[in-house]
Amino acid sequence: MIISTTAFAWLVGVALVLTIAAPIILLGLLIADWKKGRLW
Amino acid sequence: MNIVNTAILDPTTGWLILAAFSALWIALGWYFGRNTQQLDDYVLAGRRVGLALGTATIMATWVTSNTTMAAPQLALQMGVWGMIGYSLGSVGLLMFAPLARRIRRLMPSGYTSGDFVRLRYGNFAWRVFLLISLFYSLGWLVSMGMAGGILIHALTGIPYHYGMTVILSICVGYTLLGGLRAVIGTDFIQALLILSGAVIIAVLAIRQIGLDTIHAAVLAERPELLNLLMPASIMFLFNNLLFGVGEIFHSNVWWSRAFAFREGVGFRACLLAGLLWAPIPIVAGFIALATPALGLNVPAADMVGPMVAAQILGTTGAVLVLIMVFAALSSSLDSLLAATSILVVEDIYRRHLKPEATAVQMRRATARIIVGLGILTWILCAPRLTTLAELLYFTGAFVASTIWPVAAGLFWRRANSAGAIAGMILGSAAGLYSYFAVGFYVAALVGAAVSMTLVIAASFLKPERFDFGNLQEIHPRESKPVSGGL
Repeated sequence: MIISTTAFAWLVGVALVLTIAAPIILLGLLIADWKKGRLW
Repeated sequence: MNIVNTAILDPTTGWLILAAFSALWIALGWYFGRNTQQLDDYVLAGRRVGLALGTATIMATWVTSNTTMAAPQLALQMGVWGMIGYSLGSVGLLMFAPLARRIRRLMPSGYTSGDFVRLRYGNFAWRVFLLISLFYSLGWLVSMGMAGGILIHALTGIPYHYGMTVILSICVGYTLLGGLRAVIGTDFIQALLILSGAVIIAVLAIRQIGLDTIHAAVLAERPELLNLLMPASIMFLFNNLLFGVGEIFHSNVWWSRAFAFREGVGFRACLLAGLLWAPIPIVAGFIALATPALGLNVPAADMVGPMVAAQILGTTGAVLVLIMVFAALSSSLDSLLAATSILVVEDIYRRHLKPEATAVQMRRATARIIVGLGILTWILCAPRLTTLAELLYFTGAFVASTIWPVAAGLFWRRANSAGAIAGMILGSAAGLYSYFAVGFYVAALVGAAVSMTLVIAASFLKPERFDFGNLQEIHPRESKPVSGGL
């Protein structure tokens, strides 16, 4: 059973979007923690 | 293959990058750890780590050099399932989320995973667990140290011993300066570097070649890599999943984070880190499938990631890979040094050798053990024996046998000491046997299955009525009270 071009593109695309979002989420959380004084 | 002749960067550029990032890690280690005089501040970052730093440290620690280098290699050898199988390493992080919350609630003053096993199952089980845990930690340390030397050599031509010495010295240096606070602080920046590098290389690969072209070229030249029913890959997938769960459930690297997180942070941090970690092996790995489209001849499968990056981006790609690899190695090595040092100090030095040790003496002993572990790792890495690098695969059977004793012990009153001991010893033995009799890809599966059977059977044959309040051990030499409770 060969993975289709569309499924392959979706797999890589979704993974890429999540990986692009990860640093943005981490920085957002860092700012939120810092504002609340709960960094450490 | 003569790696020096095929190095992607020249040694001068390699040295410059290593020097710049070494200086950065040491400076940050000093900065983050400048107020860590108390034992809890030094070994558990004051037990007040927030969600952002908590999530990043879990992600960065779980992204080892293997994730950035072996994910492309697995994609090249096992195709789509190789990448997906590797990304299932995140299941261990997701499953650890409820454990992290439980650990923090049941043991607000705990220091190590050894503390839990000792209090839950008694001294014999504790010593068996310590043997497994220390063996695994040493295996991971040696494999990371050797990977550092080999990868730096392969990428830059810098001799193996120089690269290995640099990576070990830098990690020992900043962990020594700031303890777990330095580790967690640098992990945040290392996580950002790893993620950014992986994204840049992946986006440029897609823009320059295109996913359609990559798929078509693989289909024409190596269609088996796109086959979703490749049996060896599916076996690898389940074994990798259980190996990862075993590594995370027992290792003090993860337990020390559960103790270090602020109340209420552990569950969310592990869950978020697992979700954000899962796509990384796919993003880092799929570029290997571009080799047919690029017409690249790959002489060594473990170098496919850097080769594709260099082909697409030239020197910039190779620099990016080196930075990613250096960050991935540092973020795992520093965590191991910090977590293993407190395991040795709490479970061996204090519990076996010096029960009256004060917090000041333990703080000092931890620093010495960090240096000692660095030296021991260097000595073991120096001969560059490949058998030592394979030690980590070998530990799959051992760590998988601890999954059930740990999980059942945390949540199930009936779980008893006999089941835990039999599960760890016989599970390890059965896993080890299958490693040699069948192959590496079944060791963790067999170890976990045998251990599960024994833990459950023993709990039904002779159920215990464990009082979880017994885990709330007050550390006799704490310098300040710790909040939290059942």
